[in-house]
Amino acid sequence: METKPKLAMYWAASCGGCEIALVNIHEKIFDVMDSFDFMFCPCLMDTKYHDIEALADGSIAITFFNGALRTDENIHMARLLRQKSQLLIAFGSCAAEGCIPGLGNLSSRQDLMDRIYRDSLTLDDHQGPLPATSTGVVEGNLTLPEFLPVVKTLGQVVAVDYSIPGCPPESHQVWNCVNAVIQGHPLGAKGAILGGGRSTVCAECVRTRTEKKIRTLYRTYEILPDAETCLLEQGLLCMGVVTRDGCGGLCPRVNMPCTGCYGPPEGVLDQGAKMISALGSMLDLEDAGEVNVDDYARRMDVLLEGIPDLAGTLYKYSLAGSILGGKRTP
Amino acid sequence: MGVGVYFCTCGGVISQQVDAQSACASIMEIPGVSYVETIEFMCAEEGKDALEQDLRRKKPKQVVIAACSPREHENTFRRVLARGEVNPYCMQMANIREHVAWVTTDPRQALTKAVSVIRGALGRVRRHESLVPESLDVCSDVLVIGAGPAGLKAALGLAKGGRKVTLVEKGPVIGGMPVRMESVFPGMECGSCMVEPLLDDILQGQHAPSITLLTLAEVVDVAGYFGNFLVKIERKPRYVSKGCIGCGECVPVCGVSEKNPFNCGMNQRQAIDFPFAGALPNLPFLNMELCVRSRGEDCKKCQQACPVENAIDFFDRGETLEVKVGAIVLAIGSRLEDCSIFPNLGYGKVEDVFTSFEFERMLAHNGPLGGELGSVTPGGRPLQTIALIHCVGSMDSRYRDYCSETCCQNAFKFNHEIHKLLPEAQVVHLYRELVAPGKGGYPLIRQGMQSPHTHAIRYSNQDDIQVTRAAERLDVRLSGDVVATADMVVLCPATIPSVDHRQLGGMMDVVCDRNGFFAELHNRTDAVQSRIRGIYLAGSCQSPMDLKQSMGQGMAVSGHVLAELVAGGMIEIEPITASVDDQRCSACGTCLPVCPFKAIHRQEDGKAWINRVLCVGCGTCVAACPGGVIKGNHFTNTAIMAEIEGVLA
Ligand SMILES: Cc1cc2nc3c(=O)[nH]c(=O)nc-3n(C[C@H](O)[C@H](O)[C@H](O)COP(=O)(O)OP(=O)(O)OC[C@H]3O[C@@H](n4cnc5c(N)ncnc54)[C@H](O)[C@@H]3O)c2cc1C
Ligand code: SF4
Ligand code: SF4
Repeated sequence: METKPKLAMYWAASCGGCEIALVNIHEKIFDVMDSFDFMFCPCLMDTKYHDIEALADGSIAITFFNGALRTDENIHMARLLRQKSQLLIAFGSCAAEGCIPGLGNLSSRQDLMDRIYRDSLTLDDHQGPLPATSTGVVEGNLTLPEFLPVVKTLGQVVAVDYSIPGCPPESHQVWNCVNAVIQGHPLGAKGAILGGGRSTVCAECVRTRTEKKIRTLYRTYEILPDAETCLLEQGLLCMGVVTRDGCGGLCPRVNMPCTGCYGPPEGVLDQGAKMISALGSMLDLEDAGEVNVDDYARRMDVLLEGIPDLAGTLYKYSLAGSILGGKRTP
Repeated sequence: MGVGVYFCTCGGVISQQVDAQSACASIMEIPGVSYVETIEFMCAEEGKDALEQDLRRKKPKQVVIAACSPREHENTFRRVLARGEVNPYCMQMANIREHVAWVTTDPRQALTKAVSVIRGALGRVRRHESLVPESLDVCSDVLVIGAGPAGLKAALGLAKGGRKVTLVEKGPVIGGMPVRMESVFPGMECGSCMVEPLLDDILQGQHAPSITLLTLAEVVDVAGYFGNFLVKIERKPRYVSKGCIGCGECVPVCGVSEKNPFNCGMNQRQAIDFPFAGALPNLPFLNMELCVRSRGEDCKKCQQACPVENAIDFFDRGETLEVKVGAIVLAIGSRLEDCSIFPNLGYGKVEDVFTSFEFERMLAHNGPLGGELGSVTPGGRPLQTIALIHCVGSMDSRYRDYCSETCCQNAFKFNHEIHKLLPEAQVVHLYRELVAPGKGGYPLIRQGMQSPHTHAIRYSNQDDIQVTRAAERLDVRLSGDVVATADMVVLCPATIPSVDHRQLGGMMDVVCDRNGFFAELHNRTDAVQSRIRGIYLAGSCQSPMDLKQSMGQGMAVSGHVLAELVAGGMIEIEPITASVDDQRCSACGTCLPVCPFKAIHRQEDGKAWINRVLCVGCGTCVAACPGGVIKGNHFTNTAIMAEIEGVLA
């Protein structure tokens, strides 16, 4: 009997949306089943870690790895799956760039623990035990994976063959990638981004642009934007300009500014920093000529009050993988 | 062949701090390095020759020159590379003199640092691409807009340099402000006499054939770029052709007249008339709106009086001309602030309150009074005391946040002229600051102040001044107290941008500064160049200034153009420019407004396109482009990152 190539999908620190994105290819999932032996996916089936450990190296054809690396268990699985897979693909924004879990890099481990297990308003017992790698109970010893000081992307720990961007990746793009493998099409140079374009979301956005001059920045609940005009030009912080295309420009299509989930476009090293430098060109501070510096700084401050959470807005998806990486915490 | 490294000892200046032998040994270990050579004084003639010979022999793909600051010798070595048949842009200098030898005392640290800097340069240079300058045919003709002193000097200088010049003047008369002045500070020569030789040169001098003068004309469209501008000019009908001999026979026979705008409405002019006596070109012009023919009458009185056939052409329609030029000179001058916006100073409401320009015309022999300012005011009252209010609207952040430069000296010029005509008259100066720079300014003011009939009162806020009529005289109050009782008040208003600055500037992407004057490339080092290559600024359209400066700028511009736009030549386009990856550009439009040189244009599909003639490679758009789609040639992100990584490795 001919054995089909093995396909695995693993979740590290993630929300499960990536698995849904895969399943969202609908009936095409049968084509996937036809072509692959879909043998490991903790979200959907009950394969055990030791089953994977028992495999020969390189015996999984493709692993879609989603989720960021937050615990030593995540790291262990990243290394294990690297060893067992021919192609290791960072699937989705968490694995590729850190995504929402990566925003944890703005706080220390202690702060995070305190916030959840000590200070949260919904706790009954503010003095209860904190999670620990090992906790003695009457029945014996309970273990938990270690919560690491910083969140890492998959590529920061093991070599990654390709990445598929998106939070989650758009299903049609997932299918494009899977189908390319099924059809035996070349996937491009190692390290390439699959399932994304080479431009930015603006290229897929149908809104009209006149002049990128922003006089006031608004948050989404503050205005009802005009449906035709570029959102950024209306003062909504649309990250489309610094985000790789491939999603189809879905958010601006429904009057929501792009939040940047497809990550930085080709050639951009740091999505947030790039947005800051682009904003520097767009914020309208009037003629720069010989304006008094203090006046300038004051006007800049007023404008930037429109972005109360700079890191969370500009680095929503890319903090862990960015040059900045996070905040230095104790 | 990979990268060749040349280490200059700078005759010991470098090698005494950075041990050349150890440095070369460490450099050889860096991947990609093919060889290292040491040269004693690389910038000396023998050094350059040695470098050239070695390049010819070894044919490296790229070169690192570890020596001094690129500010000093990058161009020197680029030239040597070209001689040695290596692309000059495939070179990177590692500044181990200023950045290492001169500032690092510990030799061990100096060695480590020098090797790091060289490693950075190596990382970078391996990502350098061969660049080749492009050249472009140019048109060497020049357009000068504005026939005031600045524009005239520029036009004449250019014509003398062999260029064809189109000189466009909006009004019917050339010469700008000075031809309207009786005298010119600081020397008190007659203004129109002073510029007359210049006007003659323009109109009929040796180089006049190279100058096409268009009066009553305006530029309406500008397209293209340095070396290749296409300009549309609209000439309004004058109804008087060049055949006119300027005899003036037509004037007295004309039956309709209006207030003469060239004399601030202080006398009358006929529908066909000269702007003022002696105005050049010596041709009257017909105001068709006033002429009875515009009301359907078939009057031909002027034509009948005219001794030249066809000199007066009632059917002149004007014309639209297109000219191709390589450079444009903006010399449209400035204007004075409208004094009626200061109601406390009485202008426009209180009789015998005038502006400096109106007073200038009253003094002028070619003005409405024929230069005879008698002992009565134009309002008919005895003239014994004149109050001159300086700084009106200047140096006041609510109006004009600058000093208008010429008004103080001009007021003392008036002082001088008044005393020449009316030696017993009292002259009161109300001033905020007294400004008299240069070698002539102070003597002028000192002389005026020495007269017992001159009085000076300082004020701090223009709002504290009140000019009112008190019976036959004028009360000038300062904070409520009468400080002068005058018969005439002359306001010296701020010099402000002309009415055409925004529109004309906008037509050619020349930006205005926050005061509304044309912004210069650099306010000290390049004041006669705009930020657009090939568009130059001369005279008071750039900033308030006196005649000396205006004429000087006109001459500076002609020098610039003659040097940069060589007749029959080509312009070389520096290859260090930015370029847009057309396939990847998302047409977001972020880069469009950021280019200080207006080199970026929107294509039909909305994508950006960079005009390489205008781009100076500053990199502003490269940083702004959110899609990482604009590449700064020679300063690519990959090269810069490789340099940083090299230094930090
Ligand atoms: C009241 C007064 C007195 C002064 N007295 C002195 C003095 O005694 N000594 C001294 O050194 N300086 C004096 N100055 C300053 C002097 O007048 C200026 O420095 C000088 O005139 C500037 O020359 P310019 O060629 O730049 O502009 P202008 O002399 O203003 O000439 C500009 C020309 O451009 C034309 N123009 C305007 N717009 C257009 C257009 N859109 N298209 C085509 N043509 C256009 C105008 O019609 C004009 O002919 C005085 C200024 C004022 C206001
Ligand atoms: S709305 Fe967003 S995606 Fe659309 S053009 Fe503007 S910035 Fe780009
Ligand atoms: S590099 Fe500078 S000059 Fe060139 S197009 Fe960009 S912003 Fe303009």
